[in-house]
Amino acid sequence: MLSMFVLAAPVAPEGRVFGLDAQTLIGVGIQLLNGIILAVALGFILYKPVKEFMQRRAEGIQSQMDNAEAMMAKANALVAEYERKIKNIDQERLELLEAVRQKAVEESKVILEEARKEAAALRRRSLERVAEDKKRLQEEARLHIIEVASLMAQKYLAQKIDEATEEQLFAEAIAQLEEAQWPN
Amino acid sequence: MDLSVKNLWVLQIAGVEVWITETIFNTWLIMLFLIGLAVIARIKLRKFKTIPTGFQNVIEAVVEIFDHFASSTLGEKLAYIAPWFFMVFMFILSSSLSSVFGLRAPTADWITTFALAFATFTLMLAMGFKHRKGDYLKSFFSPHPIFFPLNLLGELAKPVSLSFRLFGNMLSGTIILTLYYALTPVFVQIGIPVLLHAFFDVVFGALQTYIFVILSLMYIRGAAE
Repeated sequence: MLSMFVLAAPVAPEGRVFGLDAQTLIGVGIQLLNGIILAVALGFILYKPVKEFMQRRAEGIQSQMDNAEAMMAKANALVAEYERKIKNIDQERLELLEAVRQKAVEESKVILEEARKEAAALRRRSLERVAEDKKRLQEEARLHIIEVASLMAQKYLAQKIDEATEEQLFAEAIAQLEEAQWPN
Repeated sequence: MDLSVKNLWVLQIAGVEVWITETIFNTWLIMLFLIGLAVIARIKLRKFKTIPTGFQNVIEAVVEIFDHFASSTLGEKLAYIAPWFFMVFMFILSSSLSSVFGLRAPTADWITTFALAFATFTLMLAMGFKHRKGDYLKSFFSPHPIFFPLNLLGELAKPVSLSFRLFGNMLSGTIILTLYYALTPVFVQIGIPVLLHAFFDVVFGALQTYIFVILSLMYIRGAAE
């Protein structure tokens, strides 16, 4: 294949291993241009895209690791919080019982106060009713005594005095009875 | 196999005679191969997965290893010139390996190695003036202005030494293999050359690629810092 190109060349000078002339400079220039073309091609086609891909992947993995770390920290905080709660549960129970006891005492005081007030009201009402009954009974007794006294006086006078005296005495007695002061 | 670099065509461009040598032609072949490989990788990149396997693994490993190597040698502020050296790395390595397939390695010709070394030299000057500005110029007169000629020679010697180191090493392999094929009987030319090619083309090639790239990176970093 190479010999075909050599034959195809119009005037192909003899080859050499090393030389320092214009052709060397031209050759260096061509190789430099080749290098620049290859660097641009490899850089844009391979190096940068692959590097960017790896960078994106590394960032993605880093972000996932950060998230996992944050979740781990949150979980650890939660575990610590529950452990603390478990440790303090006895104290909390005692505090709760004390609070309930305090509340019960306050409620019992309120209930007792209400009961006392109700009892006082009941007693007052009973005393009022007793006083009313006593007054009523006194009135009834007074009327009954008047009635009995009237009957006794009527019987007595019917035997001892005449009609006119009887009526006078009866009237006086009635008047006296009506004026009499009944003890309470 | 021949020691000399053959001239394949002679072109007349604007009245100037241009020899298209075996080196230039082989360079185009290698460029075609590398660009083809890059295009295949670029097409396959769309299907790349989070967990790499097979071909994706190879491409990622090559890019990642080189990027890490270039970034750690150049430093973060010069990392943007890494793509040029990625090309240099791939090209020199492919050139060395092309000998295995019977091609004359383009790096066994001084025009190739000097072109690459000259690019390094240009980058070195550019980075020096870009990042250090006047200080870089002052460094040529350090520690005393009398040292200017020596410092200048020292800087100019860098691309020359870089180019001749690679050229000499690659050419030595070519010479040894050419001599072996020319001087030994045919029956010894089966099997044994595999070892010689493996040593001179693969091992030496990889080693010289590494040396050329790391020296270039260090020269540039030295100029920029």
